[in-house]
Amino acid sequence: MAKPWIETHTFHHSAFSDLSRLMAAKQKRRLSVSLCFPTLNEEATIAKEIVMMKSDLMTRHRLVDEIVVIDSGSTDNTMEIAAQYGAGVFRADDILPQLEKFRGKGENLWKALYVTRGDILVYIDADIKNIHPRFVYGLLGPLIQHQDIKFTKAFYDRSIALDHNRVLPGGGGRVTELVVRPLFSLFFPELAQIFQPLSGEYAGFREIFENIPFPIGYGVETSMILDIYRKWGLNVMAQVDMDRRVHTNQDTRALGKMAFVILKTFFNRLEKMERIELARELFHEMIRFDRRAGEYVADLFAVKMSERPPMMEIEAYRNRLLKE
Amino acid sequence: MTSYLDQIPSFVETSKSLKDVIITNIIMTGQIPAPTFAEEKRANMLLERFSSAGVDRCWLDPLGNPVGVIPGTSPDKPPVFVVAHLDTAVDRDVDHNYTVTSNAIVGSGITDNSTGVGVLASLPDIIAAAGLSFVSDIVLAGVVRSLGAGNLAGMKHLVGNWKTPIRGAIILEACELGRLSYFSEGLNRCEIECALPPSPGGRPRDTANPILVLNEVINQILRLRLPQRPRSRIVMGKISGGSRHGTIPADAVLGLEVQSDSLEVVRSLYTDIRDIVNGVAHELQAGLKLKSISEQAPARLKFSHPLVKSAAAVMKKLRLEPVTMPSESELSVFLSRHIPAITLGLTHGADAYLPEQARVRISPLFKGIAQVVGVMAAMDSGVCDG
Repeated sequence: MAKPWIETHTFHHSAFSDLSRLMAAKQKRRLSVSLCFPTLNEEATIAKEIVMMKSDLMTRHRLVDEIVVIDSGSTDNTMEIAAQYGAGVFRADDILPQLEKFRGKGENLWKALYVTRGDILVYIDADIKNIHPRFVYGLLGPLIQHQDIKFTKAFYDRSIALDHNRVLPGGGGRVTELVVRPLFSLFFPELAQIFQPLSGEYAGFREIFENIPFPIGYGVETSMILDIYRKWGLNVMAQVDMDRRVHTNQDTRALGKMAFVILKTFFNRLEKMERIELARELFHEMIRFDRRAGEYVADLFAVKMSERPPMMEIEAYRNRLLKE
Repeated sequence: MTSYLDQIPSFVETSKSLKDVIITNIIMTGQIPAPTFAEEKRANMLLERFSSAGVDRCWLDPLGNPVGVIPGTSPDKPPVFVVAHLDTAVDRDVDHNYTVTSNAIVGSGITDNSTGVGVLASLPDIIAAAGLSFVSDIVLAGVVRSLGAGNLAGMKHLVGNWKTPIRGAIILEACELGRLSYFSEGLNRCEIECALPPSPGGRPRDTANPILVLNEVINQILRLRLPQRPRSRIVMGKISGGSRHGTIPADAVLGLEVQSDSLEVVRSLYTDIRDIVNGVAHELQAGLKLKSISEQAPARLKFSHPLVKSAAAVMKKLRLEPVTMPSESELSVFLSRHIPAITLGLTHGADAYLPEQARVRISPLFKGIAQVVGVMAAMDSGVCDG
């Protein structure tokens, strides 16, 4: 009987820490790698992230071929500092300027496809306090060393000891456990094997990313998993244990907004996959009542669900590929 | 001497070209908490960094000091040591995540001594990039158990158990660039503890207060006559005790250091302090204990020693003005064994009220590293051999 996906497609970053070996495998397959940081006001952490990746993955080992920062319009010194430390820096609005402009992480990730050249793209959030090169080589390892794997996703934090030698993580964040995991369990139980579907660190081959749509906002991670699953199946995906990740926690109100967007994205995909049929369109506002000065006041969070089409459908992108 | 002096400007450029590697090594060091006696993770990290930089001979010695050796071309020449202490005075529970700004690295322990260790970890890359080879083996060592009660145990173990003679040593400290330490003072580092006996029914209000008892001890120590020559002083370094404003504490501790150019004076002053402690304990009927943590004999190189002169010449080549100051650290272990050694500062920096706000500047670091490589070249050319 075949082993379940979680057994065969779950790795630990330390399995890929021999960077010379990984580099040799990368050269043998003639692959190039682009590392992308989507940013918005990240001046406190961006320099450290760039410096560490350059040091170990470009200067000491040629595992990464370019580092780019795609910025959503920072008002602090994120872009200046990133450029000073040697990243290619782009303002999202300046990429494909002929298109309608959007603000959001998904927009940055999607536009990174246009300005980067790597066969593999690695996306890393720019707010990781305990950044380490493992966040990148851990994601690259399965992609480079396993021909059938096309997309990798990070997970963190160990808490459940199976025995003396095996420790598994306790799960994801609050939104994962309260929203995404129940939905996966209800509709796609196979995907419940993914520990942290919302983690912000993932990598994949260009041929994957350029053929899926990118929601602009919080829904991008959820839709990415569903779209890859639908088009190529679970076995092109792998997950990698990165141990600990330190970042700033969001309050429950912010997480509620995130959950709202993810739910909308999920239902959108369910309809596309003909798994459900909604009798009427979903509403667009999240409603939360606050009590202010003795009155109940509605705090409305309106979401316009914008989504970029697969980059391959963009003529300018196809032209760029043709020129290369 | 001229040949390596002429190369020094190029060492600055080489260091600059490895800016990302150097900063990364400093961050990787500093982000691992390493209070004295708990340096194991940081030691393993340093070993891993040596190994990934291509240093084939590296190991942890029995006390836990990580050591890497860059082989020299002549097996007959004794090795040159480059050393930085691994431990920090920062508690484990302080935030150890660093920040990099346009010209600074900010975080707890950055000035003592993540910068020194990070530069040590970068030396194999810098030496390779500069295309340098040395006659002597270069021994790169992070040493554990240096600070406070650690009492330089790692350094003493490493040097005491080294099988061959040692040609000379450089000790790396983060701050300040321009520092040139070639002597260490005699010292006795001690603690005075005052503790009340346990009292199950609570303490009466007129019980001797350990803080006031220590205050009396301090007052009497301040009345001691200290000689102007040899230069001598008593530094009250730390005091702790108590938990609530309105409750007499059960105990209190005073940490102090007797420092002098003369070991005889150190010992004489220590005897005076012991008499004071015994006298106060008797008169106030207080539980007072004096404990010596470490004693160190003064040791020095002369200013005219070729190593000191060469180091000053290297600094001048970099337009740095050497500033002489004593060092109580690892330097004394080498000098007391008659091994020529100096301590060098790597950059400019500052501690802060909150440890996580300590910072060092990035741009002066490249001169700081160039001076280290220059002094290594000077030692390799034989300035310590006389």
